[in-house]
Amino acid sequence: MRINHKIMSAKLKDSKISEFSTGKDPFAKARKKGSSRWILAHILHGSNKWFITIIFFTIILSANLSSITYIIIGETISALLNGMTVILGNYIILLFILGITGPLMRIGSRMLIEILAQRLERDARREFFSNLLGKSQSFHDQMKIGELMARVTDDVRMLNFLISPALSLVVESFTYLFIPIFYIILYYPIQLIIEPIFFSISFLILLRSYSKKIGPITGRLRENFGLMTATLSETLSGIEVVKATVQEEKEMKKYLTNAKNYKKAFIERGKLQAKYLPILVLALVITAGFAHSIVLYNYGLINIGQIIAFLGILGLLRFPTNISMFVFSIFRLAGSSAVRLLELMNKKTEIDENKEGKEKVFKGIIKFDKVEFNYPNSKNPVLKNISFEIQSGQTVAIVGTTGSGKTTLTKLISRLYDVSSGRILIDGRDIREYSLQSLRDQISYIEQDVFLFSTTIFDNISFGRVSSLEEVIKVAEQAQAHDFISELPDEYQSKVGERGVQLSGGERQRIAIARAFLSDPRILILDDSTSAIDSNTEDKIQFAIKNILKNRTTMLITHRLSQIRWADLILVLKNGEIVAKGNHEELLKTSEEYRKIFVKKFDIEEDQLLKGVRE
Amino acid sequence: MWVGLEAEEYDRKYQDKVLVKRIISYFSPYKKAMLLVIIFLTISSLTMAFQPILTSLIITNLETTPEPLYVIFLIVIIFIFNILGWIINYVRQIYSSRVIGSVVLDIRKDAHKSVVNHDLSFFDKNPLGKIVSRINTDSRDFGETVEMSIEVVSSVVVLILLITVMFTVDVVLTFVLLISLPLFFIAALSFRKFARKMTLQGQRALASVNAYTKESFSGIQIAKTFRREKKVYDDFLAVNNQSYRVNLKRAFLLNAIYPTLGLIQGVVTMLLILIGSSFVIDGFVGVGELVLFIQSINLLFFPLLIIASFWPMFQTGMAASERIFALIDTLPAVVQKNNIVPSKLKGEIEFKNLNFQYDKSKKVFDNFSLKVNPGESIALVGHTGAGKSSIAKLIARFYEFQGGDILVDGKSIKEYDLTEYRKHIGIIPQTPFLWADTVENNIKYGFENASEEDVMNALEISGGSEWIKSLPDGLKTNIRERGSLLSMGQRQLVVFARVLLEDPSILILDEATASVDPFTETKIQEALEKTIEDRTSIIIAHRLWTVRHVDRIVVLDHGKIVEEGNHDELMKRKGTYANLYNTYFRHQSLQYIEDMGKSNE
Ligand SMILES: Nc1ncnc2c1ncn2[C@@H]1O[C@H](COP(=O)(O)OP(=O)(O)O)[C@@H](O)[C@H]1O
Ligand SMILES: Nc1ncnc2c1ncn2[C@@H]1O[C@H](COP(=O)(O)OP(=O)(O)O)[C@@H](O)[C@H]1O
Ligand SMILES: [Mg+2]
Ligand SMILES: [Mg+2]
Repeated sequence: MRINHKIMSAKLKDSKISEFSTGKDPFAKARKKGSSRWILAHILHGSNKWFITIIFFTIILSANLSSITYIIIGETISALLNGMTVILGNYIILLFILGITGPLMRIGSRMLIEILAQRLERDARREFFSNLLGKSQSFHDQMKIGELMARVTDDVRMLNFLISPALSLVVESFTYLFIPIFYIILYYPIQLIIEPIFFSISFLILLRSYSKKIGPITGRLRENFGLMTATLSETLSGIEVVKATVQEEKEMKKYLTNAKNYKKAFIERGKLQAKYLPILVLALVITAGFAHSIVLYNYGLINIGQIIAFLGILGLLRFPTNISMFVFSIFRLAGSSAVRLLELMNKKTEIDENKEGKEKVFKGIIKFDKVEFNYPNSKNPVLKNISFEIQSGQTVAIVGTTGSGKTTLTKLISRLYDVSSGRILIDGRDIREYSLQSLRDQISYIEQDVFLFSTTIFDNISFGRVSSLEEVIKVAEQAQAHDFISELPDEYQSKVGERGVQLSGGERQRIAIARAFLSDPRILILDDSTSAIDSNTEDKIQFAIKNILKNRTTMLITHRLSQIRWADLILVLKNGEIVAKGNHEELLKTSEEYRKIFVKKFDIEEDQLLKGVRE
Repeated sequence: MWVGLEAEEYDRKYQDKVLVKRIISYFSPYKKAMLLVIIFLTISSLTMAFQPILTSLIITNLETTPEPLYVIFLIVIIFIFNILGWIINYVRQIYSSRVIGSVVLDIRKDAHKSVVNHDLSFFDKNPLGKIVSRINTDSRDFGETVEMSIEVVSSVVVLILLITVMFTVDVVLTFVLLISLPLFFIAALSFRKFARKMTLQGQRALASVNAYTKESFSGIQIAKTFRREKKVYDDFLAVNNQSYRVNLKRAFLLNAIYPTLGLIQGVVTMLLILIGSSFVIDGFVGVGELVLFIQSINLLFFPLLIIASFWPMFQTGMAASERIFALIDTLPAVVQKNNIVPSKLKGEIEFKNLNFQYDKSKKVFDNFSLKVNPGESIALVGHTGAGKSSIAKLIARFYEFQGGDILVDGKSIKEYDLTEYRKHIGIIPQTPFLWADTVENNIKYGFENASEEDVMNALEISGGSEWIKSLPDGLKTNIRERGSLLSMGQRQLVVFARVLLEDPSILILDEATASVDPFTETKIQEALEKTIEDRTSIIIAHRLWTVRHVDRIVVLDHGKIVEEGNHDELMKRKGTYANLYNTYFRHQSLQYIEDMGKSNE
């Protein structure tokens, strides 16, 4: 046992703990190394690295072509002025070829960039999603769905934008920033590079300070956007309450607060972009360059054709200048999006799927050994010193007042949460030694708070196990659900709406019962699963449940005496502790708490009930 | 079901004209600012357009007889234009981002308002994830498009000015330049239709991802307990790959347009030089003028390229505005005919030959009639799916009914002002919903001004406030989405307390204590008897002992009333109710338990 614990604690240190994995996870290491390394790993993953190489190459090439084009235009004009009509034809053919190959090359590289960008989005989303699936329940308890949604869609999309347009534009603009200098050196009096060099340097400096300022603002923009999504989706989830309590105005205000903050950040960003200085600097530099070249012309160092070409080449700087204003905020955004994604993905989760763990068919002997449990963040233990044992095939009923810890206790068995101290054993082994797959496969759970997916009834019932329609119908009949399902427009193919809103409460519960029946588990947990069902229907379901219970170990949470009576063992919980256990008769005699729960309710006098027992 | 890009039921197509008009109407409150934007835009575009003209003047001058003073003068003017243009543009941009920010906010406000005012049938059909993405993401895309469009407009001003000047310089060359325009427009327009379609599909694919994520993680616990993460993941892959495919296709298409236009530009440049140089040789035009044309190609193509390269965005924006307007324009099914404001309701409710169905295929009520007197308490009992909750929802006017009428205090429910009317109704729905907020705020929801004492009182009445102490921060504990940090029973208690605080004229409890243990329920029961004394109450319950004391019990079966009367009368009648009651009691009676015990053996 001790050795096992060691193994387990060693494993806990391993950061790859996850309840679910898809087998391949090429980015696991990169995730630990920060956002830029992670993004880089994505960009260089698999065939992506060839793509990015080709993209770089074509971008640089086409920047060169643009510069050459201007030089040739200049030459053409000089030729014109000098009346050299012979070579004119050659120049024009050259220009024609350049005019066509440039765009064609750009088409090619753009397609590649898009493939890369979309791939990045797809892969990062896949990675994020599967990672979330691997997180434990306590993680999901703390998360807002709205925030998850914002990350899965918007943050991941930012990575796409990072490649297209941002990354490709940045590469493009930096080439456009330096290539002209290169050609000026080649073809013009060297002093003409003063202007472009002056510009390049001041551009880089200004850009740095700009991108420092734009970062926090775009961050705020996104943050408020996320908040808007979160508030709105919560409002709409609770729309029935909003309407019933006439709080539309208040919800609107909540939303508008976020939307207004968004607007503020938006305007601030606009201001910052308006103040973008490089545009002014460039305009001045071009004019200065023009003046400079005129001076040189005066001294006869260059001709008119060259002036024109020089102006054209300087004009190429417009592109990086204009575009970097937008592009750099995308960089910042993508960076912070990546951080947001990694923050969740790198959150430690405590339960591992334990693939190498033991797998076996359970007999179903469950033992709680001094179990204590704390929800993360809760200050008092929810369960204290819980010990009991159920034999294979037995049924144990758990009763207790609201909030005494009944549901929590059952959740520990399928390791939705791990115990804080003590142990839970199945068939004599700590449940942490089994593989999660094996453990959860053999436990079925009908939860108190029934959740249905918005798909069809068939899909919902067969959620736990792939099955044929016949099998589904059979369990639906047992769960007394077949009749109402047959009345629906599309029978088993009817959609049930989000969370099953299109069904009545009792109907939902019956679908959940059918779902659990179908998965044919060794251990069955029923958490107040007939609370919304009328007694006639319940009567029928009870017999089905009773049949199902045969040969399975069962935990029942219920307040119906009839069900409790089947139990081999009844646990009475109070404030997280077992205050009494035994069978019905014993408990009536010995437990005050038990009597408190059951006696008053039936208008049967206590004496009378006790009398029945005493006889 | 997540894979598929079909339109939502409420989607519709707008003509471009309608769409544009609609968009303009959002800008009309900011007329003054917009006017400024337009004026500044024109000025800064003018400063831009004059630069090549000045440049060409200088070159012409250099080429013929250089006059240094003249050249210096022109260069100084260019410098001044540079600075002036930048400053004016600065002011313009600040104004325009203010206007756009406000317009986007207005659109969001409208969309929010319209969505929240929909009745529940709308939410039954439309996944929340998709609605949310429409309100937030699409409006953002729209705003970005408008920003781009302003840039485009400024370029168009430059374009027009340049063309005018060019015509005065040389007509033939201008025509050469202009043949590119139709080419441009043909190329751009032929992309337009596909682009819009692809963009719509791309947005839908993303909305699907959004909705699927919402659903998966709402149901994560089920996926875990059944160990079906794999299935969730596989379905996700399908949704994600769909989004990849659709968006890639879209990107391909939209990216093809930019280089295509570049190609046109290349050809036109070549033609211009070819024809222009022969003109120069023949002495029709000077080199300076040719330079003007060559330089203008860039200035001319730049706006067109902007339009083209931001075409994806532009299309996204149009598609986005179409989606939002469709959402805003959808009318709720529940429509009020009048807006009577009830000061106080007596609480008389009458269902008159009511017909109601959620779906066309299945009637829930057919010619249903029931009258509840003011102050009367009635209980609705019957099998699940009989229509009990539906009655509650109809009284709250969450759904529109198809025939007959519901009268409250003798007036049709359709005549009231909806919000005022609902203020008098307190309803505890079957599934408790709580906000991701503190316990206290959850209880005060709908009744802001309640003091902490009121809250504690309400809790005390609803089964005791003892349990609050076990929470980490007591009343101030944040209970997370849907109250997931509380046990089900506790959630019901909180909702119960909330409605008690509201003190409504008509109280509707839909299995309000179904998840609460019998002991706590008894306590609530006692409190409830006092609460319902002088107000109309409708109580739905399966645990029949809880409804024995009401004035009248109505037994429903498949949307029909099969019996009514008080407990004793119904018991005497030995009909459905007596049967239900007995089954219920049989469950709890020792005799039954003994029998079950025997059959167990
Ligand atoms: N996910 C959770 N996180 C923190 N506390 C919880 C969580 N779920 C339940 N609790 C708290 O644990 C206690 C026991 O809850 P539960 O086991 O659901 O009670 P019940 O006996 O009614 O089923 C309650 O006080 C509840 O507030
Ligand atoms: N939102 C809905 N959309 C479509 N059908 C619904 C919806 N809500 C309930 N139904 C159907 O209407 C019938 C009556 O439901 P309900 O009034 O909830 O029954 P109950 O008596 O159990 O409260 C059921 O057959 C149910 O399937
Ligand atoms: Mg519970
Ligand atoms: Mg109901």
